[in-house]
Amino acid sequence: MSALVLAAQGEGFTPPGKEDFWWPILGSDTSAWTLTRPAVMALLSVALLAWFLLAATRHRSIIPGKLQFVGEGAYGFVRESIGRDLIGSKDFLRFMPLLFTQFSVILLNNLFGIIPFVQYPTMSRYGFPVALAAITYFTFHAVGFRKKGFVGYFKDLVPPGLPGWIVPVIFVLEFVDKFITRPLTLSLRLFANMFAGHLLLLVFILGAEHMLLTGGPALKVAGVLSGVLAIVMTFFELLVEVLQAYIFTLLTALYIGGALAEEH
Amino acid sequence: MVTPPPRTPYDDEHDGPLEEARAWGVVSYLLAGLLTFGGLGLLADHLLGTSWLVLVGLLTGVGLAFYLIWFRYGTP
Repeated sequence: MSALVLAAQGEGFTPPGKEDFWWPILGSDTSAWTLTRPAVMALLSVALLAWFLLAATRHRSIIPGKLQFVGEGAYGFVRESIGRDLIGSKDFLRFMPLLFTQFSVILLNNLFGIIPFVQYPTMSRYGFPVALAAITYFTFHAVGFRKKGFVGYFKDLVPPGLPGWIVPVIFVLEFVDKFITRPLTLSLRLFANMFAGHLLLLVFILGAEHMLLTGGPALKVAGVLSGVLAIVMTFFELLVEVLQAYIFTLLTALYIGGALAEEH
Repeated sequence: MVTPPPRTPYDDEHDGPLEEARAWGVVSYLLAGLLTFGGLGLLADHLLGTSWLVLVGLLTGVGLAFYLIWFRYGTP
């Protein structure tokens, strides 16, 4: 409807697309050495997290200050309800640096998507989730091979108690699951959520801007509505961003826990 | 006397993060089933010149994935 009205008025509205995710800063080609906006933001996130965690732990006291409270709250959450529950009390402590780093880095980079003036989720460039998923991938396989040995790890892929004739088929399925589709789904889930979320916000915000600036009275009303929806969607994005950071860490812990568990 | 570790609200055996994590991980099994056996079906179609084995492969794959998920997580 609005597209028809726009077309009738001869106005051109370019809907947001994947070009809106390409932000070169230094250099403009697509080579590996072009410095881009998400790369700068990833570096910024590391600096911010380092500052925050150092500040939160410098003056530790029994009665925590604000920073210490937030820092310890986040760490306690990852430790108790992700690490301990999924890896088990015996082994989880040595994986806490990995889990907490993943959680905090992903969370902050996701939140960049709605933080004013930054407003770009780093993870909407697929390379970043791939790198994070690769760390998970190599970690849980290395843990499994070290714990069970090369042959033992493959033997342990199949759950015990299956009828004999189906074991080879299930082995293939488990192998593909653990070596191919796990890293794929892990990285794609994070990337696609951030990409789609950012695109959604762009549609509502750019649409509101265009309708308010160039539309007639009726379209101006629609523009205001679109702006209101942009705000609602921003809060929805906040939820998605926190949830995706949680799920990524949760699955890392599940995979490590699974590689450690004895199944025979 | 040994004090037990503090219990979190998630300590119930069939509730909380473990079940939730498994639910999120299930997608990976479904995809593995579809890709593996759908791929085998496609290959067989290509070699034999038929066009229906890919469907058989996809259905077998998703069926096996369901079976494996049920076997792993659905049985006590």
